[in-house]
Amino acid sequence: MNRKLQFLLGPVLVLVLFAAVIQTASWLMSREYKEPYGAPAATVDPTPRAAGLADETADAEAKAKATLYEEAEYRTFPVVGSRVAIWAVAQLHLLFAAFVLAVPLFAFIIEVIGYKTGDLRYDRLAHEFTKLLSVSFSLTATFGAFLTFMLIALYPKFTNYLMSVFSPTFLPYVLLFFAEAFFLYTYYYGWGKFHPLVHLGLGLGLNIVGTAIMFIANAWLTFMMSPNGVSDTGAVISVMDAVYNFTWMPINVHRVIANVAFGGSVAAAYAAFKFLQAKTDEERAHYDWMGYIGNFVAISAFLPLPFAGYWLASEIYAYSQTLGLTMMGGAFSWLFIIQAVLIGNLFLAANFYLWLGMGRVEEAQPLQKFVKYLLIAIAVCFAVWATPRSIIATVSELRAMGGSAHPVLGFLGVMSAKNTAVNILILTTFMSFLLYRRTGKVATVPWAKMGHVAQLGIFASVAVFVIFLGIYGYFVEASVRIGLSVPQVGSVLFAMVAITAIDIFLFRGARTAEVRWGRVPASSQYVLIFIAVTFTWLMGLMGYVRSGLRQHWHVYGVIRDNSPDAFTPTLGFATQVVSVTVLIFFFLIGFVFWLASLHERADHRAHAPSPAGGPGGDLALGGAIRHHTSAAAEMRGLPAEDITGRTKRS
Amino acid sequence: MTIGPAPRIAVLVIASTGFYAYVGQMVPQNEVQPPAAVVIRADLTTPEMVEVGRGIAEGKGLCRTCHTIGQSGALRFPDLAGVAGRAAERVPGLSALDYLAQSLYEPDVFVVPGFNPGMPTINRPPIGLTDQEILTVLAYLQSLGGTPTVTLQTSHRYYAAPAAPGAAPDAAPGDKPAPGEQLPLTAPAVTPTPGTVPAAPPPQPPGTARPTVAPPVSPVRP
Repeated sequence: MNRKLQFLLGPVLVLVLFAAVIQTASWLMSREYKEPYGAPAATVDPTPRAAGLADETADAEAKAKATLYEEAEYRTFPVVGSRVAIWAVAQLHLLFAAFVLAVPLFAFIIEVIGYKTGDLRYDRLAHEFTKLLSVSFSLTATFGAFLTFMLIALYPKFTNYLMSVFSPTFLPYVLLFFAEAFFLYTYYYGWGKFHPLVHLGLGLGLNIVGTAIMFIANAWLTFMMSPNGVSDTGAVISVMDAVYNFTWMPINVHRVIANVAFGGSVAAAYAAFKFLQAKTDEERAHYDWMGYIGNFVAISAFLPLPFAGYWLASEIYAYSQTLGLTMMGGAFSWLFIIQAVLIGNLFLAANFYLWLGMGRVEEAQPLQKFVKYLLIAIAVCFAVWATPRSIIATVSELRAMGGSAHPVLGFLGVMSAKNTAVNILILTTFMSFLLYRRTGKVATVPWAKMGHVAQLGIFASVAVFVIFLGIYGYFVEASVRIGLSVPQVGSVLFAMVAITAIDIFLFRGARTAEVRWGRVPASSQYVLIFIAVTFTWLMGLMGYVRSGLRQHWHVYGVIRDNSPDAFTPTLGFATQVVSVTVLIFFFLIGFVFWLASLHERADHRAHAPSPAGGPGGDLALGGAIRHHTSAAAEMRGLPAEDITGRTKRS
Repeated sequence: MTIGPAPRIAVLVIASTGFYAYVGQMVPQNEVQPPAAVVIRADLTTPEMVEVGRGIAEGKGLCRTCHTIGQSGALRFPDLAGVAGRAAERVPGLSALDYLAQSLYEPDVFVVPGFNPGMPTINRPPIGLTDQEILTVLAYLQSLGGTPTVTLQTSHRYYAAPAAPGAAPDAAPGDKPAPGEQLPLTAPAVTPTPGTVPAAPPPQPPGTARPTVAPPVSPVRP
């Protein structure tokens, strides 16, 4: 249909719709209650309906006046109930907040790298990441306000209690929020407009303020799980103790790391989305590189995340063994099998992406032969981690097994096996990274052979040590066994640090092959999106376990949940809620991606012929960015280079 | 006709989310209700108390979250099978009933060797059993490897039953205070006998004191 016809039909359609609305409204109004037809009475009575309505109104008013004010403890939310409504809104708020806190963190680091190296690609990359922030920030704030109103409306008594405990933290929170808005928008809109160091200062301020906001909000939620600084009846003894409760700092650390992992994965998904829509090799090269960096950030943060999780879990146990056992051995134990499936998928996908990425580099074949061994190790660890202690079986099968634990597989369902599996999984993924990093590189230092042997020796001895401790755990008392996870984690961390340190010196001045950014199969980009979905879903699930752990308590052991939703739902129900929330999040983040991509679309005025190049040329695809990078380069006294797909590995 | 990336991405997102929701349906589905209020009738007999105590141990008391019955091997917390038989010998100078009561009211005073401290104080939130409910749990514990003797009129170190008109507290045979010990007159405060039992620390709500890794050693019970 041609545009002129559309132009003419548009107003006609509007008029038709307007007329239809008027007609429908008139018809509905005409259906107002009417007295049924009856033979005219001899005398005219007052209409009984009108009188009845007046009586009802008067009665209701009198009743309302006679009722004493009583504070509501709970109110209901239609259809889904109060808990699910709060759950979904809180989860969406947290997902956007995590993204908004994480992106500035690595955008700042990338900008610092760009400033130090003078490589404008980093500057452009950091700016592109930041583009996703402004709309996400608005959505975070909107969901935050929505959550607050919902809490006040649906759980007034409990919210009032939390306010009474944490009211001293509210003013700093609000002021920090203003500061966050100031830093974020100045950081974004001031890109290339200030001296680079001033701009970096804004980025630093943004990160400090954002982290401080998260720490305050974390105090509120961790207090609900491990209350401190209050009496048995809930009276406040010390606000500082209430803030600095058992799980506050572990959650702070865990969230910073998890936010970076999550933010990196979503940013990588954005790059994948752009890669798949790219029309030119230059765009593909740029978004391939952006996706790689996003994924690198995500997986780098993901590797230490289980260790932060250990710390959090150990603090939960230290606070209350009952709480810890409810988590790992009670109502939520099967949730960790679902978690194992998610994390196993994350490891598999992350490794698969790296292996596909090896194809970008020439001379990758010598290292690609190791991939199958890594895959076997990951698959075995995944299987061990996802093996439950108790098997779902029929009565006859249970009899045959002599209990719910399988005579053989049951041994893989205990913590000794799972700790071992996860540590080997981390070690293997780290080795995948290392293989990718050295693809196409040849060490030229004189001690190269010794360095390789040392790296292999560290890797092998740590792997053997971790497996040995895992087996040893079956033969010792509980008090000893629990402590074995510390040397397991410590040795894996040691291996990662030591091997990386050797690697840095080993490949200093190495011969490197060319990296052909953009030359990866499209499937690798779908892997990035899959990783982002899995991360998001994992965050939703772990948010549920952290919050649901309190079971029938709003504030564990202090304020009991007396609402109809006080029960702990089935895991099936919980996963449905998480799934719906994740879908809503991706719908909204898709909207954010689309808005961010509008930056690069040609202005409709660009279609019109413009004298002397005009604004259309400047606003054409990537024009704004090029303009910006040129300005930034001029400020730093650097030549404004074209960004090409072919780069030497750094 | 080729399908663009946007629909493919949408399908991938929906399929991945759907897969994880499906995994969630494959695991056992338990809906955990808040513990129901337990009504302790004043005329409960000891066998009836055992049954009530069993119900509390498996429900509101959360005992079975951690403790097994009749299992061996690498256990995280002591198995309760035969606990009544072991109770009298655990702590010198402490009767079987008082030992069991102590493990509920002041669980960190004595920790079974080989295990870490971790037992919550049962008469305080979040579990918060009443003294009468604890009596039924004691009756149940006595039934595990022994003969239950507790009645609702039984007093112990942490609880003095209200005296029935014209009747003395009905302490079970074998549960008499050890020489040098005396029963507290008021519940639930503990009045230790000087020289034998030190002043017990006041029960702590969860989280007010971090348990150490090493089992705490009772000052009077090495």
